[in-house]
Amino acid sequence: MTTEMTQVTVEELATLMKKAAGVTVDPHDLERRVDTPFAEFGLDSLGLLGIVGELENRHGRALPTDAERCKSPRQFLDLVNGAFTTGA
Amino acid sequence: MSGQRTRHTAITGIGVVAPNGLRTDTYWKSVKEGLNVLDRITREGCGHLPLRVAGEVRGFDPSALIEDTFLVQTDRFTHFALAAADAALEDAGLSGIAADAPYSVGVVTAAGSGGGEFGQRELQKLWGQGARFVGPYQSIAWFYAASTGQISIRRGFKGPCGVVASDEAGGLDAVAHAARAVRRGTDVVVVGAAEAPLAPYSMVCQLGYPELSTVEDPSCAYRPFTSAACGFVPAEGGAVLVVEDADRAHRRGGVVRATVAGHAATFTGASRWDRSREGLAHAIRAALDEAGCAPEEIDVVFADALGSPEADRAEALALADALGPHGTRVPVTAPKAGIGRSYCGAPLLDIAAAVLAMEHGQIPPTPGVFDVCHEIDLVTSTARPAELRTALVLSRGLMGSNAALVLRRGPGTAA
Amino acid sequence: MTRRVAVTGIGVVAPGGIGVPAFWDLLSNGRTATRGITLFDPEGLRSRIAAECDFDPLAHGLEPELVERADRYIQFAMVAAAEAIADGGVDFGSEDPWRVAVSLGSAVGGTTRLEHDYVLVSERGQRWDVDHRTAEPQLHLAFSPSTLASVVAERFGAQGPVQTVSTGCTSGLDAVGYGSHTIEEGRADICIAGASDSPISPITMACFDAIKATSPNNDDPAHASRPFDAHRDGFVMGEGAAVLVLEELEHARARGAHVYCEIGGYATFGNSYHMTGLTSEGLEMARAIDTTLDHARVDPTDIDYVNAHGSGTRQNDRHETAAVKRSLGAHAYDTPMSSIKSMVGHSLGAIGAIEVVACVLALARQVVPPTANYETPDPECDLDYVPRTARPRRLDNVLSVGSGFGGFQSAVLLTGPGGRKR
Repeated sequence: MTTEMTQVTVEELATLMKKAAGVTVDPHDLERRVDTPFAEFGLDSLGLLGIVGELENRHGRALPTDAERCKSPRQFLDLVNGAFTTGA
Repeated sequence: MSGQRTRHTAITGIGVVAPNGLRTDTYWKSVKEGLNVLDRITREGCGHLPLRVAGEVRGFDPSALIEDTFLVQTDRFTHFALAAADAALEDAGLSGIAADAPYSVGVVTAAGSGGGEFGQRELQKLWGQGARFVGPYQSIAWFYAASTGQISIRRGFKGPCGVVASDEAGGLDAVAHAARAVRRGTDVVVVGAAEAPLAPYSMVCQLGYPELSTVEDPSCAYRPFTSAACGFVPAEGGAVLVVEDADRAHRRGGVVRATVAGHAATFTGASRWDRSREGLAHAIRAALDEAGCAPEEIDVVFADALGSPEADRAEALALADALGPHGTRVPVTAPKAGIGRSYCGAPLLDIAAAVLAMEHGQIPPTPGVFDVCHEIDLVTSTARPAELRTALVLSRGLMGSNAALVLRRGPGTAA
Repeated sequence: MTRRVAVTGIGVVAPGGIGVPAFWDLLSNGRTATRGITLFDPEGLRSRIAAECDFDPLAHGLEPELVERADRYIQFAMVAAAEAIADGGVDFGSEDPWRVAVSLGSAVGGTTRLEHDYVLVSERGQRWDVDHRTAEPQLHLAFSPSTLASVVAERFGAQGPVQTVSTGCTSGLDAVGYGSHTIEEGRADICIAGASDSPISPITMACFDAIKATSPNNDDPAHASRPFDAHRDGFVMGEGAAVLVLEELEHARARGAHVYCEIGGYATFGNSYHMTGLTSEGLEMARAIDTTLDHARVDPTDIDYVNAHGSGTRQNDRHETAAVKRSLGAHAYDTPMSSIKSMVGHSLGAIGAIEVVACVLALARQVVPPTANYETPDPECDLDYVPRTARPRRLDNVLSVGSGFGGFQSAVLLTGPGGRKR
């Protein structure tokens, strides 16, 4: 049972933010502001939980419990991609 | 009501999202012309159900009115409520009020069925795919308090917030609740109800109502007060009002479009329409009493008009019981015959129509009804010009509640 | 002249035992009624624990026909109402039915039945265009929560204002508050007030799973609900109902009724912050408390006990602690504050009414119920949470507070015979 070990990119995160939370953000802008708190993009805790759920279901595995507590896009992507590559 | 405080409750803003109009002006035009917009239900997945006719809100584009961050976490019933609340606040000239005094503005909604379409989608994920597929917004989109909460958050209102769910008549109860909040000291309350009961599973849930009309021809599916009465037709939509301390409204130069003068509610049992005669009459008398209004002062009645013979008869008799000889003389109308009944939203739409009727001096007709078989003066065919100072709005619920609300015309539009 | 509102009867259906004596026995002994879910197979859920009622409707006098027709949450309310009315000695035959009101709360109403039938008509979530032919005939009664107040009103012959209140998790407090306003304002002399919920079903458990609001401590359900404890990890779902007979004080005196206490005040505000989130400052709840005390003409230093919302989520307990400190000032540190959700779980809309009944009993017995499972202090929650053991104490003024999804912040003040200051 192998799941695809694709990395979640900034572009995908931008798409997920739109789909799960209705937050419109340009991927380039997100790339430039990866250390800006999610709150400043208008993404709240429920939105991030929605993104976590979507990724978990897509990859068929759970993310660490801190995933939804990440404050910024960089922190989130680092944690998610770390988890998916190590298979944690 | 305690007589010591004399805060009067004014209606200073109206916002409508209805099957016959997505804005207050278009709604009034349709109502005044007696347009019948009942039609075959077109919403996805509903076509095979034995409920064929309803008042659908068509052409409503929530994405043009409401931010995506709100849309993604709300059901259609809340979309209607958010849009109507915006319109009502703008109408009242209070769009920016929260910035000054957030605690002075409350929000009250009535809800009959909550976010059924959103709920069905999440139920489908749960049972079709598994618990992990249920999204984070199910917990806040389906429940009955969603619209009050979202209006208060989106507009920044921190005053008293409430939700009543007393079936259709709850729409009138919510307005009375808001009026009492004003009397207790809250300056402004955004109050209303909007419903979206036309999702497949929600429709299945309604099929058990014995009063539901399953007639397939839109032109004769909902014909209250006629010998062809065959039940009611459900609808989407509703209205939101801004109610406000009348003195405050005057001071700020707001337009007092009407005042909420009296209200009362009673209960006489689910589907006990024979007993609703007594319940409705009792509510009317108590509402008149609170308003300090004699029966003869009532210039127009917006009827509940359930559309089943027994219920229509009870309502006609209740008017006679409560208003005496005036009960058979006072003009009665039921615009909802052309729109359907959007549960708690229906009496809100009637309040909006009553305020507009008083402003325009026109009693709108009852669409599609010509052959009245009860002892009431039902306005049919075309609008009837009349000097209207006081209106009585009636509502009954399928679960047994009855309510009456007395509205007085505002002092005029010269602000 | 101001009309005062008395509590003259109470009834409760709660996890750990049906009826007031069993309920108080549980609370005063600090026992917990949380356990692994038995009402359905919770396999696949993150939180598989709950505080369930061992409830046999027939044994509690409900007719088979009603049991067939009415959802579990309505059955709870019927049993709690019958107990409250018997306790209050109300004879509806001699009351004016138009002067009897009903104000009952429910957060999620008939969703358990709605889900049950949804599974039938959708072939277990396989089709959007559901098949109506497989639905049960009483399904429409689950469609609107107004059924709750309607069925109870019909049973007891109430013909005054009858309403269902649905403000999420403050429904119970608000239903009591609306009911007391109904009497104060002269629209009724008696009000059957309370709340009921039976939310232990897959969809409701799953929706709280999705936001990680419920405790995942499936291995130790008896100790999973840990309000104010440093190791708290979410609330434990509950179910139940509580009903109070509220009555205009002179009306109660005239018929020689036993008066437990008075509803001294009530207030509610929205936080306009977030549908599920709470601030760490608690300004809006503090405002609800201040307004309630003002309404009751009671000073913050007169408060003898705070019955907390205390759900056991990280943010709630911090929010609430801040709010109470803001309203009561230094007196907050001298005021016991406990959460019975540690014992009976969080039954959403019902719990506010169950907590008001707990307060009525606390006043009557002069005992503060404890916070079970409280072991490790959290620096952000630094009040006296009455750890594990009930505490005798002179109680005159008791405050119950709650927060609900949608931003609702409500407070109710109960005043015992010694507490009136006028």
